[in-house]
Amino acid sequence: MNINIILVLLFNGVLLGLIYAVVSIGFSLVLGIGQVINFAHGLLFAFGAYIFWYISPIIGYWPAFIITPLIVGGMGYLIEKLVITRVYGQDPLFGLLVTLGISLAGTEIIRMIWGKLTKVVSTPGFAAGQVHFANIIYPKYRIALALISLIIILFVWWLMIRSNFGTIVKAGMTDSEMISALGHNLPVLRNRVFIIGSILAGMAGIVAAPLWGIKSEMGTDILMLAFTIALIGGLGSIKGTVIAALVIGIITSLGVLIIPRLVEAVPFILLIAVLFYKPKGLYGELTILGEVTAREK
Amino acid sequence: MNKQYNILNDPFLYLLIFFGVFPFIPLLGKYLSLGTEMLIWILYSLSFNLLLGYTGLPSFGHGAFYGIGSYVTALVYLQFINNSKNIFLPVLAASLIVGMLAYFFGFIIRKKRGIYFALITVAFSQVLYIIAFKWTEVTGGELGITRLFRGQFLGIDLNNSTRYYYFVLIIVFLGSIIIRKITLSPFGKVLKALKQNETRVQYLGYNSAKYCCYVMTISGIFAGLCGGLYCLLYGAVFADNMHWVKSGDVVIATLLGGGMTNFYGPIVGSSIFVLAREILSSVWDNWMLLYGLAFVLIILFMPTGLLGMVERIKEKKHTEQFNNNNNKKKKDLEGIAHKEENK
Repeated sequence: MNINIILVLLFNGVLLGLIYAVVSIGFSLVLGIGQVINFAHGLLFAFGAYIFWYISPIIGYWPAFIITPLIVGGMGYLIEKLVITRVYGQDPLFGLLVTLGISLAGTEIIRMIWGKLTKVVSTPGFAAGQVHFANIIYPKYRIALALISLIIILFVWWLMIRSNFGTIVKAGMTDSEMISALGHNLPVLRNRVFIIGSILAGMAGIVAAPLWGIKSEMGTDILMLAFTIALIGGLGSIKGTVIAALVIGIITSLGVLIIPRLVEAVPFILLIAVLFYKPKGLYGELTILGEVTAREK
Repeated sequence: MNKQYNILNDPFLYLLIFFGVFPFIPLLGKYLSLGTEMLIWILYSLSFNLLLGYTGLPSFGHGAFYGIGSYVTALVYLQFINNSKNIFLPVLAASLIVGMLAYFFGFIIRKKRGIYFALITVAFSQVLYIIAFKWTEVTGGELGITRLFRGQFLGIDLNNSTRYYYFVLIIVFLGSIIIRKITLSPFGKVLKALKQNETRVQYLGYNSAKYCCYVMTISGIFAGLCGGLYCLLYGAVFADNMHWVKSGDVVIATLLGGGMTNFYGPIVGSSIFVLAREILSSVWDNWMLLYGLAFVLIILFMPTGLLGMVERIKEKKHTEQFNNNNNKKKKDLEGIAHKEENK
């Protein structure tokens, strides 16, 4: 087996993992603080891609890069305010079903606006061309996307670990009543976290668009993946989510060599394994999804 | 507490009458495949509701049972039946094989509850979907298996739509009665208790895990049966029914009618669902938008479904009447007391 092919696939896998990480972190944060499974997360991912594809020819790459996440964040704000606030505190299943409904309706709206055909995003000027190293030719654009994702992840990590806001959010994940009692406005906090999650999803959509093409099902496709990764990594843990995302990205990428047809099933098989053997995930400290088993193990 | 069984009070009688004359209803009756699909969905959602409404197990992967039932029927049919063309064997094989799969699956996850249960069912069903989609040699992959003809059953040729409709009606009717019996039996009562308070049921001495495994098996048997009937209805099988998003269809159909609180909820819900889906999809290409919105609205404002609302209205009227009676009695008593005082 050609070592070059493996290296290329490895890089692809890392890039894949980074994008997955951006999506999954947003999902994990919302799940952590609100105890709500946001199945509309994938929809926001899709909107990020579509809106970016739509406005970047008009106003340019970088302006679109900044404006699109803001638009998607706005959508997230509306979804949270109108729908999610009604399901806090109830069985997480309700949140799942409601957001699934939103996702279905939203996907249809995407189809109404932009049609059912897959769109293609062209490479912007600044990142065209290839990089040569170690006997491999790798597209510059992919490296740029990987770097962008990495920067996003580092920023969120800084936000969560270092900033005041992050500390409050982390505390809110463990005990939301307490931080409410300490004077922090919990609904506003949840709303803000949801917006952050939406922005992350939107940005991931922008990054992923040129790689995978833009199609209306990309929302539901990535959703279960994000969920799996969030669970494997452990809810509420950014480190775990990133690690899990990278692992899945690399496995998916390299798996094409070994089991090409079943590669798509790998995340689900991992999900089953995690749910059976380690429901808390790698680094998570919280099984906030309620009772796992009939009798606690 | 057992009232004497009065057949005139049994909704099944009226349902049977309604569906019996369905083909003769003007305008609507022509759409026999629609009616047949409604019947299949009734049995399918009843089987699904055994898990969700009765035992409180949210199964999001039920489409897998349905889809595998379809595939098994198609494959058995192609392999064995080409000569005698008896329809019984493929459909029976579908129920049994899916039943075994459901038992196997139910055994593995017999101790999972709530969200974790839902997630595992999604994961499993998605793996099966991917296998069905990619295993082109067996399942036809994206193209599926097509051009199947219905054989005959007990000498009656079922290729005629009307005959197949009545065939399905009989099977669905019998299946529904069986499920009804199950829910009314001691087994069914334990299931209902499990939904409300599992720990208490365990302390009463029941092995709740076993019950969950068994109900999964029963549910799977009927779901597989429905899948088989569906396959023969349209003469084709495709993998997309097994996708987890599609599994949401039966969830919404069940919830819409009131499956959480009423046995007949799924019947009402799936009839409306199949009908609405047909009408809407032929009128508006993007009808899924309404579907998603309906999803949201039902979960937010009507989780007990239509029959649940009917029950609530009935209860309100009942308590109103009760209060009125009480107020009347109070006034009478006060009137008497007044007269006593004034004496």
